[in-house]
Amino acid sequence: MSTFSFIETTDWLCAGCNQPLQPTKVQVTYLNSAFDVELMTCPACGFTLVPESLAVGKMLEVEQLLEDK
Amino acid sequence: MDQSQLRSLEARCIQEEQPFCTAACPIHVDVRAFMTALAKGDVREARKVLDRTMPFPEILGRICDQPCRPFCKRGEIGDPLAVGRLERFCVDATQAVVKPPRLPAKGGKVAVLGAGLSGMTAALDLSRKGRPATLITGSPAIGGSLHRLADALLPKEVFTEAEATLTGYGVTIRTGSALDRQTVASVLDDFDAVYCDWDDFDAGLLPFAPGTPDPLTLALDRAGCFGGGGLEAGRTFSVMHQVENGRRAALSVERSLQKVSLTAQREKEGACATRMYTVTSYFAPAAEILPADETAGYTAEEAQREAARCIRCECMECVKQCVYLQEYKEYPKTLVRKIYNNQAIVQGTRNANKMINACSLCVQCTVICPHDFPVAEVCRTTRMEMVETGHMPPSPHDFALEDMRFSLSEFCSLSRHQPGTDSSAFLFYPGCQLAGSAPEAVQRTYAFLAAHLHGGVGLMLGCCGIPAHWAGQAALFTETMAAFTAEVARLGNPKVITACSSCLSVFRAFAPELTVTSVWEVLDTLPLPPSQIRPSAPLTIHDPCTTREQPELRAGVRSLCAKLGIEVVEHAFNGEITDCCGYGGLMQFANKGLGKKAATHKAGRSDLDGLAYCAMCRDNLAASGRPVAHLLDYLFAAGDQDPLARANPGFSQRHENRARLKSDLLTHLWQEEAVIRPAHTALRLLISQELEALLTSRLILVEDLQKVIHHAEQTGRYLINPATKRRLAKYRPVRVTYWVEYEPTGEGYLVHNGYSHRMLLPEDAQ
Ligand code: SF4
Ligand code: SF4
Ligand SMILES: [Zn+2]
Repeated sequence: MSTFSFIETTDWLCAGCNQPLQPTKVQVTYLNSAFDVELMTCPACGFTLVPESLAVGKMLEVEQLLEDK
Repeated sequence: MDQSQLRSLEARCIQEEQPFCTAACPIHVDVRAFMTALAKGDVREARKVLDRTMPFPEILGRICDQPCRPFCKRGEIGDPLAVGRLERFCVDATQAVVKPPRLPAKGGKVAVLGAGLSGMTAALDLSRKGRPATLITGSPAIGGSLHRLADALLPKEVFTEAEATLTGYGVTIRTGSALDRQTVASVLDDFDAVYCDWDDFDAGLLPFAPGTPDPLTLALDRAGCFGGGGLEAGRTFSVMHQVENGRRAALSVERSLQKVSLTAQREKEGACATRMYTVTSYFAPAAEILPADETAGYTAEEAQREAARCIRCECMECVKQCVYLQEYKEYPKTLVRKIYNNQAIVQGTRNANKMINACSLCVQCTVICPHDFPVAEVCRTTRMEMVETGHMPPSPHDFALEDMRFSLSEFCSLSRHQPGTDSSAFLFYPGCQLAGSAPEAVQRTYAFLAAHLHGGVGLMLGCCGIPAHWAGQAALFTETMAAFTAEVARLGNPKVITACSSCLSVFRAFAPELTVTSVWEVLDTLPLPPSQIRPSAPLTIHDPCTTREQPELRAGVRSLCAKLGIEVVEHAFNGEITDCCGYGGLMQFANKGLGKKAATHKAGRSDLDGLAYCAMCRDNLAASGRPVAHLLDYLFAAGDQDPLARANPGFSQRHENRARLKSDLLTHLWQEEAVIRPAHTALRLLISQELEALLTSRLILVEDLQKVIHHAEQTGRYLINPATKRRLAKYRPVRVTYWVEYEPTGEGYLVHNGYSHRMLLPEDAQ
């Protein structure tokens, strides 16, 4: 499966590591399905940012789709 | 649901039955569609309807003797439709539009003796079916006794047109044949099947005694011979009956050529009964439109007005009242088919899941339906099936089930004998929603009951488990009920007094061994509380859907209102046919917009301000924008607060109220220590009203935000915006990841945003 990219420049820094977030490939899962996506992540501790637009948009859409499979 | 269950369910909904006119029509013309087209002024479309069913519309349309008319439902509210006159108008104004198909010839030699209307019909039908017939008559032309009709009624051209139609379909016409016993006998020998039309053929010419035709098949006393049409003893000349005979005979001939049963499955042939159910009280009476010029017949305008009187008979009684069926544009017959198909899907998307979860399970349709169609039962058992097979999507029910777990948790649940006693004759069970919506009312009601009832009044806070029942979570529900009944037994099996009709209905259905009653019936036997107030204007009352089968409870409420001096105005949708407020069946969680529609619909049954006696109804109806009070607010008034003005507390406040109620009762009444709640609940959050509304619509509780912030501040794991100093943190307590954007202030945490998702990030997977 191809990787969907949701990277966008962001002002958020990881507070714990004091690091800017970097585009990173991560695997998100829901109900026995896994997706490779590119998200902004702290390179040191791996804290992943899910922006509001993604959570209530594409992500919600996919969740609903998977729920009806 | 298996296929036989589907079939028997489908059979209970009669929406697809024939309307009264069509059933009474010997050839089942779709009169309703015909009227609908004419009412729109679409005469061509109306002609199509006739062309599809009538063998010779140019003849029948002019002389149909409308046997359907006495059955027309319009007759109950005015005059029946002038079907015949409208057909005539239509046929006069149009040429044939539809040409029914002609099937490829299949062989078999068929003769029709006599070319009256039934013989013509039989020949035409057989030729269309691929059995080109030979139509033989001794008369100089086809038409039989139709030729005796006045030219004004039936212009002679129609016979030429009919002849063209017949030959066009491959019928061989032999007019002026010299028919005697011998020629007839050779026809019988030459052809595989013969139909005799008594209107235009003399039975005396047959070489055998025909006997009376079998009424079902029209078979005569010789194999392959059939007879019908013409004049019948003691009956007036009916052209529609002749046509019906011709059509019936054609089917018999076809079957005899195929050598299959002549009699199987012929009940719906000819005029028949219908199970259609149509309520006429919605319509104003209207008299027949008569043509200004009787001989010229209807003008286009007159025809349109007359056709517009058709009430398009159908049932739809349940759909007319139910926002759920309206939303999904289904009536129960189509609904169960969709549900059946949804459940049959092995791979692919189950598109009906949301629909199955959106029914409020309120049973209104079943009460309204002439055949008690059990939509709620179908939806609920399907949900159970989905849970069992792992096909239930988590999101529609998670929130309500978590809420239920919280109500049953150590933070909210409570079970005690009355302070200072060690036995209970009664047990007050306010229910989770009243505890959440109006905790003070619970305290006041309990104090009053404890002061007035003898033998000790215990108190139990919890949740009856109905959300689990509605969600199809059979195991969780059973477990909840078992814990409840065990606890009641531990208290010595006191009489349970519920303030919530849902709890009452659940206990009555699933713990029949308990003695259960409603707080209303109990209060009705006691003196009025001292702190009562009454509204300044009459109120309309809204029965909760779970009181549908609780007439004593509803009567108790009304009796109390009368004593209180509340002037109650009944609207038409109370009692057994009352609506759901949108909470039932967890509708508002499966389909948020529909939940709101349900609340607005229920509140809108009257223009008056409302009175509810279910906490959920009260809050949902109030949230829909109508002032609605809870009966307890009048019985146990709090100062001069107007019960009609109390706001909907929202999910977070309800959640918090339940926990606080337990703590207050424990410390004040039982002088016990309050339950220590987790550290995160102590965090002070500052949330604007707008944000609160957004969080409510996203089903995010303040406690969820507290958990996130607490976790972030404890671990130091959050994101920070150096320019604004705002923080963005996340936490996943169970199945949902919550995100909060906030900033610490001197007074607490100022919350800027909150959202959530169910997808799992790798770092949260444990
Ligand atoms: S009102 Fe219309 S649909 Fe109903 S029976 Fe009469 S013609 Fe038929
Ligand atoms: S009330 Fe509803 S379910 Fe019952 S027959 Fe009519 S349309 Fe069908
Ligand atoms: Zn980091």
